[in-house]
Order: sequence, then structure tokens, then C-alpha cells
Amino acid sequence: MTKKAFAPRQLIGENTPTLWMAPLLAVVTLFYLYPAFEVLRFSITDASLQQPNYEYTLNTFKNVLGDPVLYKVLRITAIFVAASVVLQLVLGLLIAVAVNRARRRRLPGMVFMRSIILSAWVMPGVVIGIVWAIILNEASYGLANLVLAPVGLDGMAWLSDPNLALVSITIANVWRGTAFSMILQYAGLQSIPDELYDAAEVDGASTLQSFWYITIPQLRPILMINIILITISTLNTFDMILPLTGGGPGQATEVLALHTYNVIFREYSLAGGAVLAVIMLLISLALTIAYRRLLRSEGAV
Amino acid sequence: MKSRKVRGRIGDLLTYLVFAVALVFFGGPLLWVLSLSIRTQQEVYITSLRLIPETPTLENYVEVLTTAQFSVFLINSLKLSVAGSIGALVVAAPAAYAFSRLDFRGNSALLIGVLALQMISPLVVIIPLYRYFARLNLLDSHLSTSMVYIAILVPLATWMLKGFFDGIPPALDEAAMVDGCTRFGAFRRVVLPLILPGLTSVFVLTAILAWGEFIVPYILLSKPSLLPISIGILNFQGNYAQTSTQVVAAGGVLAMLPAIATFVILQRFIVRALTSGAIKG
Repeated sequence: MTKKAFAPRQLIGENTPTLWMAPLLAVVTLFYLYPAFEVLRFSITDASLQQPNYEYTLNTFKNVLGDPVLYKVLRITAIFVAASVVLQLVLGLLIAVAVNRARRRRLPGMVFMRSIILSAWVMPGVVIGIVWAIILNEASYGLANLVLAPVGLDGMAWLSDPNLALVSITIANVWRGTAFSMILQYAGLQSIPDELYDAAEVDGASTLQSFWYITIPQLRPILMINIILITISTLNTFDMILPLTGGGPGQATEVLALHTYNVIFREYSLAGGAVLAVIMLLISLALTIAYRRLLRSEGAV
Repeated sequence: MKSRKVRGRIGDLLTYLVFAVALVFFGGPLLWVLSLSIRTQQEVYITSLRLIPETPTLENYVEVLTTAQFSVFLINSLKLSVAGSIGALVVAAPAAYAFSRLDFRGNSALLIGVLALQMISPLVVIIPLYRYFARLNLLDSHLSTSMVYIAILVPLATWMLKGFFDGIPPALDEAAMVDGCTRFGAFRRVVLPLILPGLTSVFVLTAILAWGEFIVPYILLSKPSLLPISIGILNFQGNYAQTSTQVVAAGGVLAMLPAIATFVILQRFIVRALTSGAIKG
């Protein structure tokens, strides 16, 4: 690639990116850069949704960071994210291995299987919350309680016990997200050459050994990418939580995104919400940097 | 050491065991909601696992579509999804073409920048936009809402389309340009028709994502006649959940059906687009 000398004509020719990129840059400026700048600006004010006037101050930052509720919210968010990542990774891998095996041995039922799991993923988040609110209905006719009654676990307070409610939103989130994790890992499995497994078998390796010494190391980059993508989508989730628990009981399932929403639209504190949005931005930034490093080390970008 | 054949059989058995468990966990809730949606009020309270009710009824669907305005919500969702996805394609296609074909300083840095946008929660951008739109009198408008939809879908569309452009040899555009086409002409007449399957995949995937979009319409729209299904059903659940689970279930089925049906019919396109977007970029 040869760098050309600067010349105004070349800025708008059709072999330069300017015109091609113009619509994208306009959208990015109006709907990302400007709002990001505004969020930063509001975070150092005392702006409220109810009053048009505000002053610049660092007190909002101090108040939000000094509020014990924030740490409770962060702890709940961390548990929600960590449990979702682990479960989606493990379940996604398990199903991907099964689907991949079914493909190689031409067992029937693979596409049907994949369709069912992906159906959960394409559903609107709100509807997922509603479906699980119905399943986890605490009355004896709720599906979860009906199924668990024979094992003596009837009448569980799925949504009104603080700890169980956190378990419930995690289950619903895993139900939603496992499909995506499965698809990524299935693609990864398909790219592992069959010869590796054949060679291992000739050497007398057991199925478990070839899983541990071939599959896992070969999948490592995809597993890492997956961890980041699951973390981001879980962090940004709150549509599913609203119909399921509404963040309750109390604030037992109020994750960071929902908390940010509540601060702005229930407490009308635009500045407080902006501070929380800055925290969310910083987390996404850190995750993006990690993602970029991974893609780079794979030579993809 | 076990023979190869026996090992294969045991493996098959385990494979189907995983399938069976996954099927119950992922399919079970869907079947249950479907079953509830065709029950009468009395049969909701039956404490048995029977899926097909004694007196199946479509009453719940009729109620949801007529009295609860679900048909309006569904049409609104369709409008917003289609507008958002088409808009995203129009904005993303030329940019993705430039990312794929043009050598310019900062190409890969910009591309990573676009990826970073995808990581940002729509909640973050919608906070200042709410205030901004309120001042411009643009709240409660499908026009401004679909603009934000476009903005949210554009990063994914750009990344995926770049992957599809990369799959077309640049020699084709060059040949067209030798034959007297401008680069834009080559893009429009030669390359775009070739990636039609790619455009379709991206359109379908973004439309499905837009169908489920929640935060943006939740904050920007409040008039009931403008709400998409994702918001409509939430308000509806708030009013009905206590008294009539079966009606909420019917609403849920109607809200999920378009996305699931589109997906199942077109899944071959989508699954491929999905993996190439996330892994190869």
C-alpha cells in the first residue's frame, strides 16, 4: 500500500473512502459520538429530567460512587454475568459437540435440534421474560413447580425469594443465550481437521483424552471470543428482566443496565444515570480492547 | 480396549441423550406456553402436565388481537423492523464496500471502531437522544425511532457485509471498470447483485434483531397506537398477568411467532452470516 500525498481532489474521488463512508460517519456522529459526548458532559452536572437548568459539578460522581446501592448492583451484575458465561459456555459446547458428532456420523435430527435452540435466541427479550414468568409461576400450576413436585421441591418461590430470583433470571438468560454460544462453537468445531482425531485414535487416545487435548486447545480462541460476547450481551440485558422480576424483589435482580434506567426514568436523575452510563461505556471499552487483541492474535484483522 | 464400533454406538447414545435433555429444556417452555394459550380459564389451574387441553379454544387469540390492539402492535413492529433494516443496509453497504476494496490510512482502525460501537448498550446512547428528541418534538414518532434503529443495526450490518464483499474477487470490479464503468457503477451493477444472498442474510438478521428491540421504543414512544409488540406485550402483561395467564400466553405466542417463523424458514442464510460476522469479521 503506497501512501499518497495529500491533495484535496483525492478526498472526494470515488477511489477514496470519503463519499462511501459519508452516510456511516453521519450516523455514527449523530447517534454515537454526540450521545457519548453528552453522556460524559451530563455526568459532571446535576441535571434532572424535570428541570431544564443545570450546573456543572462533580458531586453527582461523588454521590453515585459513594452510594452503597451501586456496589450491591455491581455485585448482582457480576454474579448474573459470571454464572451466565459459565453456563452458556459449557452448555453451548456440550450441544455443539453433540450436533457436530451427529453431522459427522450423519445422525438424523440435527437441524430440528438446532432450530429449537435458536428459536429461543431469536425471540424478543421481553417475550422470553414473559415465557419464564409463566413457567416460574409460584402457584402449584406453574410448570417449574409441577415438574419439580415429584422430587419434593414444590412451591418454590422462584420470583419472590431474593436469591432464587437471581437464579431465575440467570436460567432465563442462559435459555436465551446458549444458542449463540452453541453456533459459534459449532463453527469452531467444524474447522478442526478430522486428521487430528484420526491420529489420536491410532495412538490409542480415549474420547475424553482427544476432547481434552485436541478439541479444547483448538477451540481456545473461539471460547475466548465467546466469553467476551456473552459478557457484553448479558451486561446489556434488561428487557428480559422487566416482565420476569422487574428488578425485584426489592432490588435483588436490579442489574447495572436496569439500575441505570431506573435512576434516570424513575428518580429523574439524568446526571446520576449519565455517571452509570459512563461506567457501562468503560466496561464495553475494556471488553472491546480485549476482543480486538484476540482477533489480532488470530490474524483475522 | 473397546472396539471402534461399540465406542461409536455409545457415542451415538450419549449424543441423543444430550439432544433429549436440550430439547426438554429449550422446547419445553415453548410447548407449555403454546398449550396455555389454547386453554380456557379453568384449565389453566389444572395441576397436571397434560399439554393438549380437554376443550381447546382460540378465544384467547381473538381477545388479544381485538381488544388488546395486538394487531396494531404487530404492524408497528413490522414497520419499524423493515425501515430499520433497509436503512441499515443503505448506510452500511457503501461503507462495507470501501472497507473491503479501498486501501486507505486507518482502514482497520476504523473497522475496529465500528465493532466497538456494537458493544455499546443502546441504553447509553438513548439517554441523551431522549432529551434531544424531546426538545425537537421528535418523541412519539416512528420516523425518529426508526433512525435510531438504523443506527443500532448499522455496526453489525457493516461487519457482516464487509465479509460478503471480501468473498467477491476484486478482479471483477476492475474488469467492469476497464470496460468503462465507474467504481460506483461497478459497485451497483456488478458487486451488489453478486452479494444478494449476503444482503438477504443481513436484512433478515437485522430485521429479527429489530423485532426484539426494546429499550429504544420503550423510551422514545408512549402513544399506544405507535407501540411495537415488545412494548405492547409488556404493558399488557402488567394488566393481565394476575387474572388471565392464558391470554398473556396467546400474546406471547403472537409476539414470538414472526421472528421464529422467519428464522426457521431462512436459517441456512442466517447461521452462516452469524458465524462469519463474529469470527472472521
